[in-house]
Amino acid sequence: MSASWVHAVGLASDMAIMSLLALSAYLLLLVGRVSFGQQAFFGLGAYASGVMSALFAWPLAAALALGVVVGALCSWALALPTMRLSGLHYAVATLAFGEMARIALSALHWQRPTEDGPVGPAGIEGFRDIRWLLENDVSAEAYLLLTLGLLAAVLGLLMAAERTRLGTAWRMTGQDDVLTAAQGVSVARMRLLVAALAGGLAALGGGLYAHRTTYIEPALFDPMLGVHAVGYALLGGLGTALGPFLGVVIDLGLLDAARLFPGWRMVIFGGLVALFLRWRPRGLLDEVLVHRLGQWLRRQPPAQPPNPPTAP
Amino acid sequence: MNSSFPSLPSFPSFQSARLAPWAAGTLLALALTLPASALAQSSSRPQVGLQCVSHGSGPMLECVVDLRRRDGSAVEGAQVMLGALMPSMPMAHTIKPMKAAPTGKPGEYRATLELEMLGVWSVEVDISGPLRDKVARNLLVHECPGSERCAATPAKAGDDVHMGRHRPGAHGGHKH
Repeated sequence: MSASWVHAVGLASDMAIMSLLALSAYLLLLVGRVSFGQQAFFGLGAYASGVMSALFAWPLAAALALGVVVGALCSWALALPTMRLSGLHYAVATLAFGEMARIALSALHWQRPTEDGPVGPAGIEGFRDIRWLLENDVSAEAYLLLTLGLLAAVLGLLMAAERTRLGTAWRMTGQDDVLTAAQGVSVARMRLLVAALAGGLAALGGGLYAHRTTYIEPALFDPMLGVHAVGYALLGGLGTALGPFLGVVIDLGLLDAARLFPGWRMVIFGGLVALFLRWRPRGLLDEVLVHRLGQWLRRQPPAQPPNPPTAP
Repeated sequence: MNSSFPSLPSFPSFQSARLAPWAAGTLLALALTLPASALAQSSSRPQVGLQCVSHGSGPMLECVVDLRRRDGSAVEGAQVMLGALMPSMPMAHTIKPMKAAPTGKPGEYRATLELEMLGVWSVEVDISGPLRDKVARNLLVHECPGSERCAATPAKAGDDVHMGRHRPGAHGGHKH
């Protein structure tokens, strides 16, 4: 197996996992929330699912599911006291929660002795030996397929949801919550629901990441991760769930992997986000472009004129 | 949702409603095809020694991996892949992995990674062949003046994440 192939598989896995985190930031942006704390739910999901598979030998699917539940519940619980906050205040509150969660994970010690030494979270030293994939002989390629399958499922479900009244209500809430409430939509309920979904998505990404790398530590879940998630959503666009995925492809796929601008990647990525915020604030795939693309895709081909009768 | 909510035009999303059953089916199928986790297996894990030195611009990180079984015998014929990522920014700054070549000494493999910057790097050792394992070590890659070769030391809490400032008295790598 060549190093290039290993790199490609790893990069594709990272892009799929990062897309889940970016989608969680995207969901909150849809309802008018800018969260710099999604990395906390990513980390909580990583730890929760890692603990269940490494310490309690849970199957991967069950461990990931528990991680999703933990992330969703924590995000929902955070949304309750921050319901009345808006704009900058909400963003700072989520940032503070992200740091609280990271510090809490730094203090978490929960180890179990094994033949190869203690396994489990060891505070700031991290959590090693999340070995489910190795013990079950799951290859990196098979795991990539699983990750891509989960991402495709999430994208499909979100895109389907956006076509319903629920999805419309999300966008209305993000555009003008007072008008939305006047239409009879419970803004609070929408935001709580989206917060829980976003937390669950971020936690799913965290669980997948923990099992892919076999090693996690609190330092992984610092604010830069959450800032990037928001940046990917803003860059790719808020018009469709494909937008955050596009943002990840642009940054990780083009700028990082292709090494087009070595040493300047972060500068270019930051510059792109700044330019987009100025000139295209809803991102590349914004609502207008998505609407036009949808019209173009739905356009019926012109009716063929009947064949003229042929002379006998 | 309140039943008085009016019918509003929904945003188009490429026939996505048709994708939903397929997406849900994919999710379920993939989850079911992965086997259940085995309980803690008897250990056949190798002991992994990792020593790295940095040099040059980039910088370059030259690592030697020493693989031993529990009885101390060298693990020969293994495929060893080295990679690195920055813990401060997971999934970015991911370095292209390099295949480690046997050095000629039993159980010893060597590879050189081209890093993007100084600081704390998590070096991943992916082992396949006679044994399969994956371990990660956090190393602090120091600034190394001129043509010197500086040992990458185990990273500790409080190490500068990006700058890789040298801690006096820090030497060498460590063993698993």
